[in-house]
Amino acid sequence: MTAVGSAGFRHLSSTSVCRVTLQTKSGTEKPSSPWTLMAAVCLQRLPVISADCSPIEQQFRQMMQRMELEKSLLSDHELRLLEDSERISRKQADDYDSDEEENRGDQEIVLAQDLEDSWEQKLQKFQPGLRVNVCVKSSRHSGEGVRARSVPADAPLSCLADADEDLTSLERCLADPLVLVAEQQVGGDKLWLLPQTRWQEGETLRQTAERALASLPAAGLKATFLGNAPCGVYKYKLPKAARTESAVGTKVFFFKAILSDGGAPAAPSASLLWAKKSELQRYLKPAYMMKVERFVLAL
Amino acid sequence: MSWALSRCLCRVLSRQSPPSSFLLAEHHRAVQSLWFAPMRTLKISTPLRAEPKKKKKVDPRREQMLKERMRKKLRKLEKVAPELIPIEDLITPAKFLDETRERSAPRLSFEDSEGRALLLKEWCRYKQEQHMAEVQAVELALEAQREALDELKLESEELYQAALKPDPLMFPFTHKGPVYTPPKSKYEAPDGKYNDITKVYTQ
Repeated sequence: MTAVGSAGFRHLSSTSVCRVTLQTKSGTEKPSSPWTLMAAVCLQRLPVISADCSPIEQQFRQMMQRMELEKSLLSDHELRLLEDSERISRKQADDYDSDEEENRGDQEIVLAQDLEDSWEQKLQKFQPGLRVNVCVKSSRHSGEGVRARSVPADAPLSCLADADEDLTSLERCLADPLVLVAEQQVGGDKLWLLPQTRWQEGETLRQTAERALASLPAAGLKATFLGNAPCGVYKYKLPKAARTESAVGTKVFFFKAILSDGGAPAAPSASLLWAKKSELQRYLKPAYMMKVERFVLAL
Repeated sequence: MSWALSRCLCRVLSRQSPPSSFLLAEHHRAVQSLWFAPMRTLKISTPLRAEPKKKKKVDPRREQMLKERMRKKLRKLEKVAPELIPIEDLITPAKFLDETRERSAPRLSFEDSEGRALLLKEWCRYKQEQHMAEVQAVELALEAQREALDELKLESEELYQAALKPDPLMFPFTHKGPVYTPPKSKYEAPDGKYNDITKVYTQ
């Protein structure tokens, strides 16, 4: 009984403290929080082509096609094929009705098989875009296991390079969603992270994120921001030596955006990368990565 | 004074003889003058005692009743439910009920049918795993967003309120989904004319 009573008392006291803090916040003197606010943008290029089927998907697709064919009725084109083949076999046999032939003599007999052949030829003439950009494999420093502190050697190569390997190209890995990663100066170090910038008074966090995107060296990246609410947060405290009363650490709020078409392809620069979710681990720090991978959906 | 006078006058008038005897007296004098002296003018007074003319109140009422009945009938006829627009996809065209169109169904061997059944079960399992993974991923993303909003609330109330506001400019949002082959740059699509023969129904 006494334990319950004391717990209840504690609960009441905590809520009263909360109310007090809220009131002081709404008062004219706003105590500035010790956290620096920053907004970052998680810009994604959604997949352009459909992904390849896994083995079970391929098997299932073939089976479904066969089943559907078996359960279907004959189409007009197939009936026409059957009729034509029958007519030819009748003509070749010696007993055929000359009347029937005369009726159709003045019409041009276009066999259904001829139509099929002409369609096949037309298809051969058309060259669709290639699903995989064919390449000459380049020898390149892969950067595995290297902490993303130094500038990676993934410099853009000539156009013969494997477009999938060129991390700065937007045309790589057309079947997967890509995330934009930039190398920025944070504190004293250059780190790989999602493009971020500091929040200023008088603007919403979403506007800060838009400013972060606009301030990147790559011009012409048009994006649609998905809503006003942040999708994730990462907070870190400054090392004890640098901590002061008003600067304990930073909170970075992430905003999601989708790259929209129509932007002119920007000149590739060394500090911007388009990475798949599996490659993000190479560039982002582990604690940061843990927070980011939750909202980057790569299904 | 005047009121007393009028009351006296009333009493006087009421004491007079009933009008019939008065009229009879007059009549008597008139008859006498007819027989004995030629009539100069035939005085025929307006018929004061005839029965009043029947106004036939029933007629306009009858007309109104008739009109109302007609209107009600019209309304009943119009109340018929509007014809439903046929869904053309659900109507099998008559030409597909032809028997000559049937495909000869091939006989499946035992292994084939067993293989199909097993593949269907595997597919079921695969799809279920995919679905669970999707649901989990969505839950994680929502959790991350909730955390972000909590942190923002601790920071500043006005930024939190600004974040909660819906974005009116976002919708309508369109994005072309993944295709099988990527679009070719500088591809000239052939011009095609087409006649749209879809049937449009009006109710």
